[in-house]
This record gives sequence, C-alpha cells and structure tokens, in this order.
Amino acid sequence: MDLLIQFLTNTGYFLADYRHLIMIVVGSTFVYLAIAKQYEPLLLLPIGFGILVGNIPFFKGFGIGIYEPNSVLHYLYFGVTSGLYPSIVFLGLGAMTDFSSLLARPKLMLLGAAAQMGIFTTLLSALFLGFLPKEAASIAIIGGADGPTSIFLTAKLAPNLIGPIAIAAYSYMALIPIIQPPIMRLLTTHNERIIRMPEPREVSKKEQLIFPVVGLILCCFLAPASIPLLGPFFFGNLMKESGVVDRLAQTARTAIIDTATIFLGFTVGASTQGDVFLNAKSVSIFILGAVAFSIATASGVLFAKIMNLFLKEKINPLLGAAGVSAVPGSAREVHLVGLKADPDNYLLMHAMACNSSGVIGSAICAGILWSFTVG
Amino acid sequence: MFGFEAITAHNGWAMALAGALIVMSGLAVLSFVISQLYRIVDLLEYPKRKHKKTQNGSQTGQAGDGQKFAIPQQSVEDIMEKANRYKKLGEQLGPSFQLSELYAISSKHGLPHPHLTIKSLREAGILVPRGDGVFCWNQEILAS
Repeated sequence: MDLLIQFLTNTGYFLADYRHLIMIVVGSTFVYLAIAKQYEPLLLLPIGFGILVGNIPFFKGFGIGIYEPNSVLHYLYFGVTSGLYPSIVFLGLGAMTDFSSLLARPKLMLLGAAAQMGIFTTLLSALFLGFLPKEAASIAIIGGADGPTSIFLTAKLAPNLIGPIAIAAYSYMALIPIIQPPIMRLLTTHNERIIRMPEPREVSKKEQLIFPVVGLILCCFLAPASIPLLGPFFFGNLMKESGVVDRLAQTARTAIIDTATIFLGFTVGASTQGDVFLNAKSVSIFILGAVAFSIATASGVLFAKIMNLFLKEKINPLLGAAGVSAVPGSAREVHLVGLKADPDNYLLMHAMACNSSGVIGSAICAGILWSFTVG
Repeated sequence: MFGFEAITAHNGWAMALAGALIVMSGLAVLSFVISQLYRIVDLLEYPKRKHKKTQNGSQTGQAGDGQKFAIPQQSVEDIMEKANRYKKLGEQLGPSFQLSELYAISSKHGLPHPHLTIKSLREAGILVPRGDGVFCWNQEILAS
C-alpha cells in the first residue's frame, strides 16, 4: 500500500499545478496553429510539442528534466545554451540563399539595415522598463526577427530568458501576415505601392563566388562577435555557389539544418516551464516583441521613402518591410501587398534581396550588442 | 531603476545610437563594395576578352565569286522579326501563357538571350498582360 501511494505521489497527475496546465494549453495551441493553420509549422510544431514535453510534471532529482544535469533533454539543450544550433541553422540558411537579386541591386541592402532600427528602439524600451542591459539586449534582438540569432544572443547574455524570448520571437515570426500588412498600408500611398522595380541585371557566377568571401571579411571585421553566425552563413553560401561541393551544400540545406531545427525548437519549447515562463517579465517580453516587429517594419518602409527623395529611379517602399529578416515570410507579405495594389507587379525577387540583407544585418546587430554588453 | 533614468544609467542612448550607426555604415560599405564587384570581375576578365576578340576579328567568309567578307559577330534584328519568331515558337502554348513558359520553350530551342528578348517584347507592347500573371500577343502590332 505504501508503495502504491509512493508511486501515485510521483505521478504527473499528483504533481501538476495550474501553471503546468496553462503551458500545456499554450503548447497545444502552437501545435494546432502549426498543423491546422500552417503558421510556420517548421518552427511552431517542434516548439509546441517541446512545451508539452517540458511541462509534464515530474519528481525533481531523477535526472529527467531539461535543467537537471545528465538528463537526455539537458544534453540536447546544450546545443541551445552553447549557441551551437543557431550556428548550424545559419550554415544551412547560407547554403539555401540566393544572393543574385541583392548583388544585382545593392541599394536594397540599406533597407535591410534600416529595418534593424527596431532592435535599437526595443533596446531603449527594455531599459526603460527596468531590464538590465544584458537582458535588454537579448529582448532587443527579437526586433531582428531572426529566431536563431535571438536564441544565440540570449544564450550568451541572458540564458534565463531563452524560453520567453524564443517563444516571443518565433510567435511573432509566425504572425508576420497579421503584423506587417496593416503597417505597410498605413505608411504608404497607393501610388507608392504600385511602383514597379526595374528588371535586375544578370549577375555573373564570379560575383556570386566573390560575395561570400567579401561579405565575411567586411562584416566580421566590423563585428567579430558575429563570427559564429556569419561565418557558417557565408561558408554555406560559398559551398552552394562554388558548384564543386554540391553534396555538402545539399546536406547543409537539408539534413543538417533540419536536424538542428528539430532539436532547437524542441528543446527551446521544453525549456519554457510554467514556473519560469509565467511571470510579469515574460508578459513584458511579449509586449516588447510586438513593438520590436512593428518598429522594424515601419523603419524599413520609412527609410525607403526617404531614399526615394534622393533617387531618380524610385524604390517601391513596401520593400522596406522585407528588411525584417523573417525569411521568407516578410518577403512573401511584401509581394502579396504589392500584388493587391497592382496584380502585375512582382516584387518577390526584390523583396528577397532585402530579406537576405536583413539576415546579415540582424547577425551584425547581435555581434554589436554582445560587444557592448559583455563584461 | 525604471524610465529614462535607467536608460541613461545603463548608457542606453549611446548604445542605441552607436549600434544603429555601426550597422548602417557597415551595410552601406558592403553595399558599395558589392556594387563595384562587377567592375572587378570585368577587370579580371579583360585580358581573356581581348584575346578572344583578336581571334574572332580575323574571322571571314568567302562568297561564291571568291570575294571575302567579314562575318558579323551578332546579326542586327528588327524587334518584329524577333516577335514573329517567338510567336511561332509560342503557338503550342495557346493564346495566353505565362512568361516563364515562353522563356522555357525559347531556351529549349536555343534562341539567344531569351530573357532580354522577352523583356524587349514586353516593353514594345507586343506582349501584353492579361492579369493573373498571364500574357498574350498584341495582334494589332503584329499585323501592322
């Protein structure tokens, strides 16, 4: 009888409290959004299921939980806390990115830079709300709209906030179709939205080969702290463009990135346990995340309008919203808003140029923030 | 600590301003460098192109009466000639088609510079959009 009572008191049913139940509902919602609504399923499904796994109550001390040393989940979580998974994801991203549209129209890189203003505005907002500098920098990087970059920087600066920051970053990336279009329509006129971009010039293979090397040197000399992200990113791209290691490039953009994405999402989800996640700080992080995304979108669009004051050949200001590095979601939204204004205006290729420069920009910002707040 | 006091105490203004300037200037420099990449590539390829030109410059043909003539490197074609050639090729696509289909079929038949040609046909109003990404031939211009 004692044995049975002991067993029953160690079950999840006995140990559960309201926080576990709330988080299970949150995890289930993510899984539902991923499967039924197809909102960023590659991200939300692993995270959602990870939340379910991480919030099953258990008796601490058995080496089961993600925060307990020598547990399986703890070993898998090492890839998050060490920044390993984000680097691997960036390797795969580089191997699947085509920079030809950016190389054909380098001016669009400035829109990617402008969209990173969301990061610095959010930094100020987070400090205003009383967060410490390292925490504020980790929250600010949500404005870069880059999940792996957010997780990488948070793991270095404020590991205790990985859960809420990752959930906020990936949730808002999935909500791009809801966040961005109203801001784009608010800040642009109909005449601006129907501006057609000229055909990009043909980019030679040599340019596509030289770019990753030049990009790596220029960006990482400026912000060496971004080496763990931009190094693999440009390496992946060079593998793709060189044409001599197709097998490796293929593996990087399929098996490797998929494996890292699975473990990254799953363990981040599992790390968001109710007692850590459900507090005022997490609510503030969610609010600041929404602010970050909105300001990033608005800065990109407004910067494009400012550029048009000085350019003979106007840029469609919608492209500024694609500087938010949620690849390819924000580029797709820009293209769709453009099509609604003019059904023959195809902006996708140009938007992808801004998107890919946004990825580079957010990684540089992560390096800059890490340099500012280290020590 | 909260509010503007907190921002000032943690050097927030300087971090935000410096960070924004650094990322903008960094990407501006990268943008400038990649805008010059094609010139660097052209410069690297200049000796090869010069050598090829010298070889091709001496290409001549011989007419039936023995007179020699220079073979031009590229034939100068009228836009209408291009349009008629592409229209013939595009007959199998039907009256309405997507540009990507026309591009694919012209590449398959080895026509030179299909991308540029289709672009010039669009600009001349010979290819007109019908909405939803579908195009058709402007029969009025082709008939004239």
